[in-house]
Amino acid sequence: MQTRKFRKNFSSYLLNVLAIIIVFLFLFPYLFMVSSAFKSRLDTFAYPPVWIFVPSFENFRAIFEDIHIGFYLKNSFIVATSASILTMLIAVPATYSFARFRFVFKEPLAWGFLFLQMVPGISIVFVLFYIARVLNVYDTYYYLVFIFLLWNIPFAIWMLRGFVEAIPIELEEAARVDGCSRFHAFFKITLPLMVTGLVATTILIFIGAWNEFQLAFFLTSTNTRTLPTTIAFFLTHSGIKWGEMFATATVGTLPVVVVALLVRRYFISAMTFGAVKG
Amino acid sequence: MNLSVKRIDKDSRIAFGLILPAFLIVFTLAVYSAYWLVRMSQTKWIFGKTIDEAIWIGLENYRWLLFNENTTLWNSVRITVIYVVICLIVELVFGFVIALILNGKIFGRSIYTAILIIPIVVMPSMVGMVFRLYFSYDGLINYFVEILFDTKLNWYGPELALPAVMLVDIWQYTPFFVLILLAGLQALPKDPYEAAKVDGATSWQLFRFVTLPMMSPLVVTVSMLRLMELLRGFDVIFVMFAGGPGDATTTLPLFVYKTTLVARNLGRGSASSVLLIITIVSLTFILIRIFERVRFEM
Repeated sequence: MQTRKFRKNFSSYLLNVLAIIIVFLFLFPYLFMVSSAFKSRLDTFAYPPVWIFVPSFENFRAIFEDIHIGFYLKNSFIVATSASILTMLIAVPATYSFARFRFVFKEPLAWGFLFLQMVPGISIVFVLFYIARVLNVYDTYYYLVFIFLLWNIPFAIWMLRGFVEAIPIELEEAARVDGCSRFHAFFKITLPLMVTGLVATTILIFIGAWNEFQLAFFLTSTNTRTLPTTIAFFLTHSGIKWGEMFATATVGTLPVVVVALLVRRYFISAMTFGAVKG
Repeated sequence: MNLSVKRIDKDSRIAFGLILPAFLIVFTLAVYSAYWLVRMSQTKWIFGKTIDEAIWIGLENYRWLLFNENTTLWNSVRITVIYVVICLIVELVFGFVIALILNGKIFGRSIYTAILIIPIVVMPSMVGMVFRLYFSYDGLINYFVEILFDTKLNWYGPELALPAVMLVDIWQYTPFFVLILLAGLQALPKDPYEAAKVDGATSWQLFRFVTLPMMSPLVVTVSMLRLMELLRGFDVIFVMFAGGPGDATTTLPLFVYKTTLVARNLGRGSASSVLLIITIVSLTFILIRIFERVRFEM
């Protein structure tokens, strides 16, 4: 009996130690990136890597004062925010329609949205580049946000549909029997119940737009360049400016990491839901 | 009878009205792009020249890509298959094992799941840049390789460039499997386990005959989602190696980029885009069909 208890305890310790090691392995590259942002130029290239050093803010000074990273942060923020809000405004009514109405070509239409979401950005980015030139909208916020909608709206519809369908239609019907209009019933009953889904979807879309690279890289230039596409700045003739790169990566990933951690419950449920819905 | 028909009519008008904005934006853009893409794919057009200088050559670009002896398309297909299959299997197996570990009696599980979100949400372009330095000859990865195996590897060379980008993807998206499968494991009903334990099942039998069957729909779905993302993967590979050295990391999305911008052949690039889109969309279609059948049988 004693040995069995001991063995059980021991394997439990072992499991906990294993878990710590594994999770640390996944955290380590990110930690090293953040710590490298605080290194001096010499320490960045040191081999073997320097683990203990005097933190310097030189890299952060450089990116904010010399590269004006604030401008690109602002661009990214404008694009990601407007893309998420616009997507939700357009996708929520469409989702409601898919979840609550019966009409011809409903499922084919839903699949059509899904297939469009599957199209890789790189495969049409050069066409989008030419269209932008023809319409004279190259390098504008409007165009980039509009292009993001092509992927975000189908994504939001597929994410949200499950959330709406999970809410019993009887609740709405009861409200309508009591004299509510369809839209009143939606705003009063259904919308409050799908808040989890709305928050989760908005977060995923915001993160996606914030991180988006391949479209922004080819469709923006001096006016609206977003943060992920600034990597080209660090490839100079005198080699790659690694310190500044690490600082930019730290600044650029910080908002998303903080948001994801704050709302991790939503985040995980969003990923799960997306997975379960297929 | 008459009344109900009328009612459905009115309803479906509302239904279409609600979908209309989404439909117009998405499908207008898609159809317009598709029209241009297909037209471009049938021209001989050097990138940077105006459309007036493009020459109509019909399906010649497709014929060249698929059948010409100099085409590297099939090599890219091979690289893509290697990249996608290995990443998917490794991420799934590691992800499942780690999820099982974290599903045990673990202290501070919520801290671990929080940490595991980080790789998934960091910017792929920055990840690419950062790992470019980590994989350099005097970089972080070789430091550990030297400690473990007393040798340094040339990750920038043609043999190891593809494994390097695969390692980055495995680092970034194994947690994706972990988080989803862990959530799935924790949502499993307890009763089957109790019943199996009463019958004297070993822990391997518990896993094989209770956990695995109940988890398989979720496993299939997550793998499918990840498979589609892997097929479209561009950012990290582009930033790390831009498809090089040579063609070592030229997966299909990189092939499109290289044909269009590096070889400056807009026509052929567009043709390869069309082929890529057809491949991905039909694969999605087939996978969903298979998935529906699997789910039906379970």
